[in-house]
Formats: sequence, structure tokens, C-alpha cells
Amino acid sequence: MNMLECRDITKVYGRKTAVDHVSLQIEPGRIYAMLGPNGSGKTTLMKMAMGIVKPTSGGFYYQGEPIGVESRKEIAYVSTEPYFYSWMTIRDAGKYYADFFEDFSMQEYERLLDRMELTPDMRTKALSSGMMAKVKIAVTMARKAKVYLLDEPLNGIDLLARDQIMESVLEAVDPEVALVLSSHLVDELEKIVDTAIFMKDSHLVQVCGVEELRMREGKSLVDKYREIYGHSGERNRME
Amino acid sequence: MLKLMKYEFRKTMFSKMILLVITAVAELAYLAGVFLKWENCMGLGIGGLAMCGIIGIFYIGVESLIVFQKDLNTKQSYMLFLTPRNSYQILGAKILENGISIFITGAFFAVLAAVDFSIGILYIGGLKEFLDVVAQAARFISIEIQIEPGQMLLFFVSMLTSWLMMIVIGNLAIVLSATVFAGKKFSGIVSFLLYMVITWGAANVLSLISEPLSGDMVYLFVIAGALVILTAMYLLTGWIMERKLSV
Repeated sequence: MNMLECRDITKVYGRKTAVDHVSLQIEPGRIYAMLGPNGSGKTTLMKMAMGIVKPTSGGFYYQGEPIGVESRKEIAYVSTEPYFYSWMTIRDAGKYYADFFEDFSMQEYERLLDRMELTPDMRTKALSSGMMAKVKIAVTMARKAKVYLLDEPLNGIDLLARDQIMESVLEAVDPEVALVLSSHLVDELEKIVDTAIFMKDSHLVQVCGVEELRMREGKSLVDKYREIYGHSGERNRME
Repeated sequence: MLKLMKYEFRKTMFSKMILLVITAVAELAYLAGVFLKWENCMGLGIGGLAMCGIIGIFYIGVESLIVFQKDLNTKQSYMLFLTPRNSYQILGAKILENGISIFITGAFFAVLAAVDFSIGILYIGGLKEFLDVVAQAARFISIEIQIEPGQMLLFFVSMLTSWLMMIVIGNLAIVLSATVFAGKKFSGIVSFLLYMVITWGAANVLSLISEPLSGDMVYLFVIAGALVILTAMYLLTGWIMERKLSV
């Protein structure tokens, strides 16, 4: 059964179409890589799934119902940008989540902070981009959500921090949980994802299983990425 | 809703603390003036307290609009719109917190004025003597003081309610700028003009409904009218946010 689904969704900003007639299904028990260059529509699609960006046409559905207050109780999202209030410490960010999300565990949050070597008393506005990325992951993964949408969680993060982040993310893997990770680091994701979603020029190009890709086409995810986004990729746009 | 209100309060706590500190300084000046019979100091204290009350109430309203504008136009917006709360709850929490802050601030200054008035009477030794000293102090800071307690409370509440109504109209203008006029040229100016037109219209409605009345009824109708208008504006703003707002 589809957990999260978008039907013929389009978002237009002025003259620019950010997402163009995309239909997509996210199923539980899977880890998805949402791939595509900057401006391909990945972030807008995720934001529409959370309801923070309103589609121009089409819609997102969670468990068959239009997304809204109820879906936000079960879908966790990490944006690329820092978004905590400037007065917040890392501890305050946890308290905020505890106040609003029933599935948030403060104990789990503290454990994740400890693993990522973060001090709860640090002010969020003073954090480096790497530390901020860790806090965003910790506060999100401390929820027991049904769907995790992680937009560029590894952007600008050093190798060791990446390991800490991926370790925390993969702990959420469960037959009832869907994980969607967007990233440019295709080789990094190839090791962990089972399905790839390719976006290009606001369109959905292809959705394919990583194992199936290897078996049927004899290609790795990196090969497929090169094929789609290289010069020959123009032919691959899904009609 | 209470949790949203708690964080709305937290966003403006710093400026409220500054207001409290300035008020404390003005209060000390007033008390020093009363106890040491320094009319000039007392005048400065009264003037300072009056300014803190008026500017404080004004600023609390304006700051709520600044915070709302920031909440819609920066990534900080995710803190609100990723929570399992709808636009009516988010906006409602803002308006309620702001309304409560304005009324508490108003009540605080009213109580402080009453206490200071009583202290003045007790220490200076009689109402007439106290009022003479106050009048003398008022002349020093060039203000006229007229105390008419009968309609004072209703006037006070009607002013605060009208101010809150103007803030809610401001919220509508901010939402229009971020939704209907988003990305369009002169969206800020158009929204501001719209704010002026709606405020002017609301003020005219309040004036029309209270015109044939007299006495306390004027204030009661202004309060009721402002509450109806602000409720309508709140519902309209929430409706637009729910359908159109992208953050």
C-alpha cells in the first residue's frame, strides 16, 4: 500500500515551473534516494509533501487522505536550511519538538546528541553548518515517524560526521517506515538505498530499484546517474 | 494552542523585559519624587510611566507584526508550519498572545497608576495636596491631567480592542503580500495600501455604529464592533493561509 503519494502535482513560481506534473508513490519498508541536480524539483516536491509549499495543481496524499495536520504527526522532514529560532539552544530545539510531536523522545534525542558529540547548551545560531546538520538530524530522528523526508542531509558535511548522520538515519529503518533521502552524493547513497527517484528539469525521469538496475541493466546507481544527467540524458525524460 | 502561545511569548520576551526595566526606572523616579518631595523628579517619573504605557502597548502590537512578517518570510517559518497545527491555530495563537500581552500591559500600567496614586495620596497627606503636587509636576513636563474614572475603563478597553483590530488587519496585509501578491512588483506597497483602506473602512464602520449612541454605549459598541471585525479578519487571513501560503 502507498503511504505517501502525489498525483499529477505541479508547482509554478511566477514563470518558473519547479515541479511539472509529477506522480509518485512512496511505500513503507523502503529507503529511497531522490536524485537530481540543483533546480530539478527535489526540494519543492518534499516541501509540498509537508504542506509548507502549496501546489499549483494536483496534490499529495498520506494514507489516502490529503496531507495536512494529521500527516504532519507522522511525517518527519529535515530541510537543507537551518530553521531554528535564533534564541534556541540545542536543548531548546528538543523541547520544542517534544512540545509539538507526540512521537518525539527526549531520551533518544539526548542519545543522538551524545553520539554526535553535541553539547545541549550550545546556541543553535552559533553552530557551524556541520553541527547544524547534526542537530537537525538528531531532532528529526528522535521522532518515531512513519515517513522521513531528509533533504540533503549530508550537504557540506565532513566524512566522519557523515558516518554519524547515516548511522542515526539508518536506525529508523523498519518494515513500516519509509525513508526518502535527497542528495548529490550518489555513491554515498548507493550503499544504503533500495529505490532511486530521478528528477530532472522539474520532471520525474525514472523510479527504479537499485538491485533491479544491477540485475537487469548491469548498471550501478552512479552509472545510471551519469546516463540520465550526462549529455545523453535528455532522451530519458519520462513523458 | 497554549504551546504555540508560549513560543509566541518567548519570541517577544526580550523587548517586554526592556519595557519592564525602563518602567522600573521611571517608577523609581516617581517614588523618589514622592518620598523626597522632588516635584521635578516626580514629574519625570509620571511622564516616563505614561510614555512606557503608551509606547509599550503600541510597540507590543507593532512587534507582533514584525515577528509575523519574519515568521512567513524566513526559514524560521518551518518551526511553525512543520508542526501538526493548522493555519487558524498558528494565527490564533499569535493574535491571542498579542491580545493578552496588550491587555496585561494595559492592566499593569493601570494598576501601577492606581498604586502610585494611592502612595502619593498617603504619603503627601491628602487627595487635594497630592493632586496639587501632581498638577505642579505635570506643569513641569507640560501635560494636562484630567482624571475621569467613570468612563476611563470602557475608554481604555475600547482603545485596546481597536488597536488589536488594527494589528489583525496588519496580519491580513502581511499574508496577502506573502500569498496573493507574492513575487509581484510592488507587493509590499499594494499590501500596505490595502491595509490602510481596510483600516479606514473598519474605523468608519466603528464610527457609524457608535455615532447615534451616547455615554457608555459608544464604548460598548466600539468594543463589540472591533471584536466582530477582528474575528472576520482573522478567519479570512487563516483561510488564505490555509489555501495559498507557501513558506
